[in-house]
Formats: sequence, C-alpha cells, structure tokens
Amino acid sequence: MSVNVIIGDILIAVGAFFYFLGGLGILRMPDVYNRLQAGTKATTLGTFSTVIGVGVSKPEFLIKALIIVAFVAMTNPVGSSVLARASYLSGVKPCDCTKVDEYKGGGEE
Amino acid sequence: MRRFYAILVAAGLVYMLFMFLGTIVPYGKADVADRVSAHFLAKDVNSISPTKWVEGDKQVPHSERVYGRKGFEDGSANVVTSIVVNYRSFDTLGEVTVLFASAVGVGLILGGTRRMKYGRKPNFILRVSTGILLPLIILFGIYIFVHGHLTPGGGFPGGTIIAAAVLLLYLSNEEFSLNMIVSKSLEGSMGSLYVIFGLIGLAAGGAFLFNFLPNGVVGSLFSAGVVPLVYMTIGLKVGSELSGVVAEIHEEREG
Repeated sequence: MSVNVIIGDILIAVGAFFYFLGGLGILRMPDVYNRLQAGTKATTLGTFSTVIGVGVSKPEFLIKALIIVAFVAMTNPVGSSVLARASYLSGVKPCDCTKVDEYKGGGEE
Repeated sequence: MRRFYAILVAAGLVYMLFMFLGTIVPYGKADVADRVSAHFLAKDVNSISPTKWVEGDKQVPHSERVYGRKGFEDGSANVVTSIVVNYRSFDTLGEVTVLFASAVGVGLILGGTRRMKYGRKPNFILRVSTGILLPLIILFGIYIFVHGHLTPGGGFPGGTIIAAAVLLLYLSNEEFSLNMIVSKSLEGSMGSLYVIFGLIGLAAGGAFLFNFLPNGVVGSLFSAGVVPLVYMTIGLKVGSELSGVVAEIHEEREG
C-alpha cells in the first residue's frame, strides 16, 4: 500500500467524521439557523475532505476532484444563505437563547 | 411558406406510414434470433470479457465484435443512450410529444402577460453569485447533452439543467423575463428537426429514425452516428420547453 493511498484514506476518514458531526448538529441544535450552520459546515468540510481524499488516493481523479471542490465551494454557502434568509423573512423565530440579532428590521442590504 | 412546410411534414408522415405497413411481419413469422434486443443483451464495450457470442454459426469474441463490426446499434459507449435513441427512438419521440403537450397545458392555465413581482428585493448574495454560476450551469447542461452517447445523461437531464439556470435568473432578478418568441421558436424548430432526422433515416435506410450516419470509433466524441445530433435537438427542445414553463409560472394576468 503506497503513501498516497494511506493519506487519501485518512482524508476520507476525516470527511466521514465531519459528516457525523453534521448529523449530530442537526439532531442537537435548537433552531433552524443553528441546524443550517451545522449542516452547511459539515457538508462543505466533509465533501472537501472526502473528494480530495479520493483524488489523492487515485491521482487520475485529482483534477476532477479539485473541480468538484471548486463547485461545492461556490454553491453550498450561497444555498444555505438563501435558505436562512428565506426562513427569516417568512417568520421563523430564532430560539430564546439568541443574544444578538443583527438582521432585525433589515432584509435590505 | 409555412403552409408548404406543413404539407412537407404531413407528406413525410404519410410516406412513413405506408413504408411501415409494407414492412410489417405477419404474426408468427418473425425471426426471434435476429431481434435487436438480443444483440443488445450480448453487448459489452469493455471488450475484456472472454465471453463468446454467436453470430450465425461461428463464435466471435467481444473485442472483435465491438471494435470491428459496424453494427447500427453498436456505436455509442453508453448502452442506455444507444437503446433510448437508436433502438427505441420512436418511444423517445413520444416522450418529447408528451412533454410538449404538458408544456402547452401549463401555458394555457398559468400564462399571462406581465411578470409577477415577489414584493421584496432579491437576495444580494444570490444576485451576485448568479452572475458567476449561470454560465457554468448552462455550460454543464450543454456538456450533459453533447456527451449523452458517452457518459450517463442525455437530452432530458441537460435540458432540465438549462431550465434550472433560467429559474435561477428569475429568482435573482425581478425585472428579468424570458423572450418567449425565441423560446417557442427554438422549441418548435428542434422538435420538427427530430422528426426530420427520422424522415431522413426513412429515406436512407428504410426505417423511421434509422441511424444513417457512420458509427466511428466507440468512445470518441464524433461517434454513434445520429445519436449526438438527436440528443442535441432533444436537449435544446427540452431546455427551451421547461424554460417556457418556468417563465409561465412567473407570469400573471392583467387585472
């Protein structure tokens, strides 16, 4: 077993761990915004790590893996930001433990 | 000119009907061993498999079969595509017609004259990122239907991705509305181009939607005969059709 395969397996394991943390966060977090944050962080980091791990252990997929990472980096934050804004504007309240609400009364950039 | 065009298409359809009635095999007389589906079941583009298949009396290895023999259904590397656009292409023409009829129904029920407003300004992040993502999404849709005979995908998924790009434009810009004349004329011309390909196949090979172009090397971009051309017409047609559906959902009537 060569070195890059071992490095790739470690990266895939780290990605799986981030996915697990994301699932745990969706289960444990109190409201929509915290859950969205946990899910987005986990999918972004988990996808990056898993896909780059595949690219490292199989070097012929490395360029494809980097392209996939670029596309995920472009689309995933935009999607979660739009979801959070839509749920705020349609009246989903943050939980009582929220201290600061910088978006209150806003909605215009 | 329009009437002449319509007469041409109708005459082609009548010709096709007569050809079809002439070549139909009586019940019980069909040669089951020569069915196209049997050829498909024996197909293997990898050519590593040592399995033999039988052609007539002699056994031929797969490698010779796929790269050596120029069968009409062997050209495309993606087996699903070679079934959907070659062997079962008439059914795909039916699917395209069903989609056309449902798009017309949506237009009748939901269509209007004015762009519907959302009542609040679109998200700044969405608006900025649409400018970056839109060309990439359209390019990806075109890639999906141009490479339909090589990789999974094809005309229908590619067209749907293009329509998703149009939906993104609608969501991020309140002033945008699709040019319906361009969309409808692209849809209609691409739909009739598919039938015209079928009629050319009928004239060249004696069967409607016959694959009349050379197959080329399996796996290269210009291979599989008429399959990429048909998938391009299907992709553009489905894309403009679903974009029209998205546009009609975002319209409202006066008053």
